[in-house]
Amino acid sequence: MNENNRAQRRSVSYAPRIAIIGCGAITELFYLPALAKRRDILQKLILVDNNAERLQKVAAKCPGVTLRTDYRDILDKVEGAIVAVPHQSHYPISMDFLRKGVHVLCEKPLAEDPDEAGEMVAQAEKSGVTLSVNHTQRLFPANIKIKELLVQGKFGKPLYMRYAWGDEFAWPTASGFYFNPKIRKGGVLLDRGPHALDLICWWLGYKPELVLSENDSFGGIEAVAHVRFKSCDCIIEVKLSWLSVLSNSYALRCELAEIENNFLSWWQLPIRHKSGKVEIIPLHSSERHYNDFGAKIVSNFIDVIRKGNAPLIPASEVIPSIELIQECYAKAQRFNLPWYENLEIPNVSPVR
Amino acid sequence: MSARSAKQTVLVTGAAGFVGARVVEMFHMTGAAEVRAGIRQWSSPGVARLARFPVDIVFCDVMNRGQVEKAMDGVTTIVHSVLGDGKVNVEGTHNLLEAAKKHGVQRFVHLSTAEVYGEPSGKIVETTPYGYTGWEYSDSKIEAEKLCFEYYAQGVPITVLRPSIIYGPFSKMWIIRFAKRLQSGRLGIFKGYGEGYCNLIYIDDLVQGIWLAANHDAAIGEAFNMNGPEIITWNEYFRRLNAALHLPDLPEISPLRARFKAISVDLTRSILVFIQNHMSKRMKKRLIGGTRRTAMGQLADSARSSVRAAVLLRELDHLYSRNAIYVATKAQRMLSYRPKYDVDTSLQLSVAWLAHHGFFS
Repeated sequence: MNENNRAQRRSVSYAPRIAIIGCGAITELFYLPALAKRRDILQKLILVDNNAERLQKVAAKCPGVTLRTDYRDILDKVEGAIVAVPHQSHYPISMDFLRKGVHVLCEKPLAEDPDEAGEMVAQAEKSGVTLSVNHTQRLFPANIKIKELLVQGKFGKPLYMRYAWGDEFAWPTASGFYFNPKIRKGGVLLDRGPHALDLICWWLGYKPELVLSENDSFGGIEAVAHVRFKSCDCIIEVKLSWLSVLSNSYALRCELAEIENNFLSWWQLPIRHKSGKVEIIPLHSSERHYNDFGAKIVSNFIDVIRKGNAPLIPASEVIPSIELIQECYAKAQRFNLPWYENLEIPNVSPVR
Repeated sequence: MSARSAKQTVLVTGAAGFVGARVVEMFHMTGAAEVRAGIRQWSSPGVARLARFPVDIVFCDVMNRGQVEKAMDGVTTIVHSVLGDGKVNVEGTHNLLEAAKKHGVQRFVHLSTAEVYGEPSGKIVETTPYGYTGWEYSDSKIEAEKLCFEYYAQGVPITVLRPSIIYGPFSKMWIIRFAKRLQSGRLGIFKGYGEGYCNLIYIDDLVQGIWLAANHDAAIGEAFNMNGPEIITWNEYFRRLNAALHLPDLPEISPLRARFKAISVDLTRSILVFIQNHMSKRMKKRLIGGTRRTAMGQLADSARSSVRAAVLLRELDHLYSRNAIYVATKAQRMLSYRPKYDVDTSLQLSVAWLAHHGFFS
């Protein structure tokens, strides 16, 4: 980054040149609608996807943007890169941009492996740029409030936590990479686990110890996962599913209060105090849809580049959750699933 | 009569569906065949189920001839279990049969339905004539069967299976829906309505039948009813599922009350569908909200879930009262088909599956 760029960055009206790498569903539904509100940024935006057909389809929604099929062509032409490619490519592509001194906002999971994540964070520091990650649920006002209350010690010690997120997989994935065991190291745990396990580590302020890890992989990619952790006196249960609707809520039981909330009800926090009193804290939020949080993430990323602001979710903070995910896979055992036991296909023999 | 010995490569269409996915799972897990799971799109809910196994997942939208051609390369056997609308059931089956003829597949097992007989009563055998009802699903299945027999005459080795009520783990229609109804207290013993026969076949028994149909030479050019080992009434089914779910005893519902409730639900449903079809997307978004629902959105969600859980008039008049038994003796005689899952065992497995998927939490 030369002096001119640095000077420009100080100007509030300066619009940095950003590239989005990957034109899958997350770009179409989350990042582009957010960027569409920023005409100055959109004019200089570069969209990249190695699938030219897909690139054209997505670009039709924002005419005039620059298109490329190889991100390596633009490594030194942008100040910021949003990396929204299949998970296994987060590490190599982010590293290429970071080495060139480009700020990176990476989709979750930051990396499939904690060592890779560590390298990415180290490279960002070395290059003097930022590496942030989109863990949308960290931005939910209800989740931020829980963190605040736990840090302030208002609830006393946590005794039990539960997080359940399940519905039938319906993400309009363009490439179907989620289901390709040749390129993916995991399924629902790698997809939804980063949100769940990161929230737990963030709320607690440290990484809990893994006690049990179960999933339903039969040599492919798991669709249901259950993990149990402990931390001092606290037991933590997480269940994730791509196959069925779960309670889609979290619960925290602490010494002085209990919380149970739908994990998408970010605008309120119901608390049951030890006295039995129930309090519902309303929280300010202009977001009506999950994808509305895209504006917050993108806006912050622009200000990180333009004004030198701190990223909302620095990559270094999510590494404990990536370590936990790796541990979960290493110790995973299969659920007891009686409807898969004693399956028989009859021998076909001649019949008179 | 001879049996096929070499390991087959089986293309399962509709592999992300309830029947297709179980065919893939069982053929793969027992090592019976190399399985190719044909899907329409990655975001079909059942794809995540299939991806748990190291099986080949391919695009095979039966309405897309190019995809069908590609998916069929090297395939010896087709299990056609696509569930679609009338057009898909007929045109899609036609596309698949045409490709099967071109590729010279060794077997083509077509999953039809016992509904092709219409609404008969008594013991129903394979020679019972088709019965058109005006219902798109069953009428299109008749047309699809006719196509199968036309292609049989042209040399395609087809077998048609006509299963009755297929249930078991992953069954949305007969397990999840009824468990929800029982849990919400909307179901009871229907006096005067629920004494019709509930012809249940556990999904794994059907897969056994599919395997036999794909392997017995005697199956070629034939249609077979597929049924379970135990025939009970609908009221008995509700009672046993209720017991398996450990719910309090079911109340009796008088014919008048059942009918009145079903008519109210049908009316509410029609109004909701009308509103939904006549409101702009923008207006809907404004009134209902997004992830964060408006008060009206919450009301609409609640109305929708009530209507979904309620019993419809069509069910009372055309399903729970039907006195038909779909006899599977032809399959038993010609294919040695031996269904082994009785109702209680099937429900025990289904309820264990519900528990695993958080139904009771």
